[in-house]
Amino acid sequence: MLSRIFQDIGLMSAIGVILALIMVLAQRWLSNYGEVTININKKRDLVVTGGNSLLSSLADKQIFIPSACGGRGTCGACKCKVLEGGGPILPTEKPQLSKEEMADNIRLSCQVKVKSDIAIQIPEEIFNIRRFHSVIEEIIDYTYDIKGVTFKLEEGQSIDFKAGQYVQLETKPYGKVKQKAIRAYSISSKPEFNNRIQLIIRLVPEGICTTWVHTALKVGDKVDFTGPYGDFYLRDNDADILFVAGGSGSAPIKSMLEHLREVGTSRKMTYFFGARTTKDLYLGDEMRDFEEYFDDFTYVPVLSHPTEEDNLQGKTGFLMPYFKEAIRDPKNTEAYLCGSPGMIAAVTKSLINDYGIAEGKIYYDSFG
Amino acid sequence: MARMQPGVITYSGFLGKDIRDYGQIIADDEMVLEELGKSAEEIADRLEFFQQMSFDAFEASTMVEKIYDVNTEVVRGYLPCPFMHQGVYRKSYTTVTNTKSGKSFTYSALNIHLIRVHHFFEGKESHFRLEPRELVAELF
Amino acid sequence: MEISAFVLFWAAIFTGNILLTYFLGMCSYLSISKEIESAFGLGIAVAFVLIVTSALNWLVYYYILFPFGIVYLQYIVFIIVIAAFVQFLELVIERYTPALYYSLGIFLPLITVNCAILGVGLFMIIRKYSFIQTLAFSAGSGIGWLLAILMLAGIRRKLKEKMVPAGLRGAGISLIITGIMALGFIGFSGIVQIQ
Repeated sequence: MLSRIFQDIGLMSAIGVILALIMVLAQRWLSNYGEVTININKKRDLVVTGGNSLLSSLADKQIFIPSACGGRGTCGACKCKVLEGGGPILPTEKPQLSKEEMADNIRLSCQVKVKSDIAIQIPEEIFNIRRFHSVIEEIIDYTYDIKGVTFKLEEGQSIDFKAGQYVQLETKPYGKVKQKAIRAYSISSKPEFNNRIQLIIRLVPEGICTTWVHTALKVGDKVDFTGPYGDFYLRDNDADILFVAGGSGSAPIKSMLEHLREVGTSRKMTYFFGARTTKDLYLGDEMRDFEEYFDDFTYVPVLSHPTEEDNLQGKTGFLMPYFKEAIRDPKNTEAYLCGSPGMIAAVTKSLINDYGIAEGKIYYDSFG
Repeated sequence: MARMQPGVITYSGFLGKDIRDYGQIIADDEMVLEELGKSAEEIADRLEFFQQMSFDAFEASTMVEKIYDVNTEVVRGYLPCPFMHQGVYRKSYTTVTNTKSGKSFTYSALNIHLIRVHHFFEGKESHFRLEPRELVAELF
Repeated sequence: MEISAFVLFWAAIFTGNILLTYFLGMCSYLSISKEIESAFGLGIAVAFVLIVTSALNWLVYYYILFPFGIVYLQYIVFIIVIAAFVQFLELVIERYTPALYYSLGIFLPLITVNCAILGVGLFMIIRKYSFIQTLAFSAGSGIGWLLAILMLAGIRRKLKEKMVPAGLRGAGISLIITGIMALGFIGFSGIVQIQ
């Protein structure tokens, strides 16, 4: 009897083991694509292990294609041109690609699996994007819902960016949040500080990252981020500058002003900052310092929802009418706008139609 | 469902303290809508109308139809829809206040989509839960 | 068993429909029947897995379990074979037809726990079918299951859920509809009996 039991157990186990072996072999043989080559811009060849997405294969080699959703196929930020290879377009890519893009071989790099040799084309700026490890050095409370957080880079790391660019922060699990999230924030400190960056982060209702920053993050915590990204940056010339920002859009402007202070400039600059009430104004002291330091810099806060007291003192309502004082020669004026698409559209329209500034001289960083 | 849980797309998720599953929440709200005689599409259109009025005023505070105070905040980034399909929605948060009754509603661009396409108003006590009954009473 | 494979095939679709007569495979049937495209996809996947795993299980039963006298372990062994095959299928599809993987791939784990698959495997043993009979029977069962889920999906699409009393919406009305379909299929039973 007992020997019969053991025999049967043995047989059962044998069947199980044989099936498991078959599965392991199948996995090895079917999911193993060996080493494949990714050719970039017809210049560089990378050898990677096949089977992973293009996005992660490149990230493993320290080439970071922007991605806001972490590779889930929902943001469309990771588009890149595939010259050869890559297989047929997948159903998960189609919603994010237009007909022209599909005809031009643009693919979502987070969905394309690298199973065989592939050749891609990516903009040169991407090579400057790196992953950084940092430690929180300082957290400043600017207002009731805005904090300025300074991230000090690990020893030996340095970041090379232009004032106006942004980074992508990675949150860590906390509270009821079990996964990490990736969110973008403009750098608010000057590029001359290349071993630390400051980000201005405003608490957004139900925001995974901003709630993390405002409730869980402490000085000394370790945080990773990638960057720099973006083509919003200060142009080097003599033109007059109009800065326009709303809410947390002040971050890139602050970076630009600090940079200009560092390199010196005699350009005429005016900074229109749109906020709701006086409670939402911040960096006032820094702006007054700039006014004293620069030859010709004026800080103009404009409130959109002023309370009784506010109305008596500062400027209120729409920003546009106040531009008149700031523009002396539309042909020699540049504008840098950072904020919501609505604000940017309105301001751009007004600058072009009412003030005669060239469309090509209006640079913006839109939130939406 | 997984994408509606806290911490996946939004901090508290879409289900609030509700013990029903999302299918049941949708079914119950649809019954209320039927009773009120308004379709989810009509509500979504109305919410979008207020959002558009706000965008036209460049997100400053604006009075619509003399009794509604509307304003919108937009922040960087976008949210995917928790239902299994592609598409992302701007992080624009619109607040509409009926100045006569004082009642206020806040919703995002994603909410408009959830209501229009999925008839989903979010779970009880979720941050952006909109009660169909209140919406119909106050906004029309 | 004397029934010809050809007759078995048709009987498995109509008179002995694995879902409408034996009520096996209900869970995924109820949840995926909301849309016709996914119902069709799942149905095809179930049919395919059904045919292959039934054949595999037949071989395992008569060449391994029976000779070694461990037929009482058939329940466990059949399930393991089904699970392994589905996993294997997923790997193959992912490698060779990635587009198919993205549209059907999510259904594959659902299929492993579909009791219709184990059910067909056990029926072929109880009724002592030969290999050819097993192939015909499982093919018919698969197509029968596909037919049932397509019919329910089609009916649900046309159904005005608003007219259904609140308590019956969703699973309740689907089960009632399935019961009515089953009653309808009883009408076929005069053609041939395979019990």
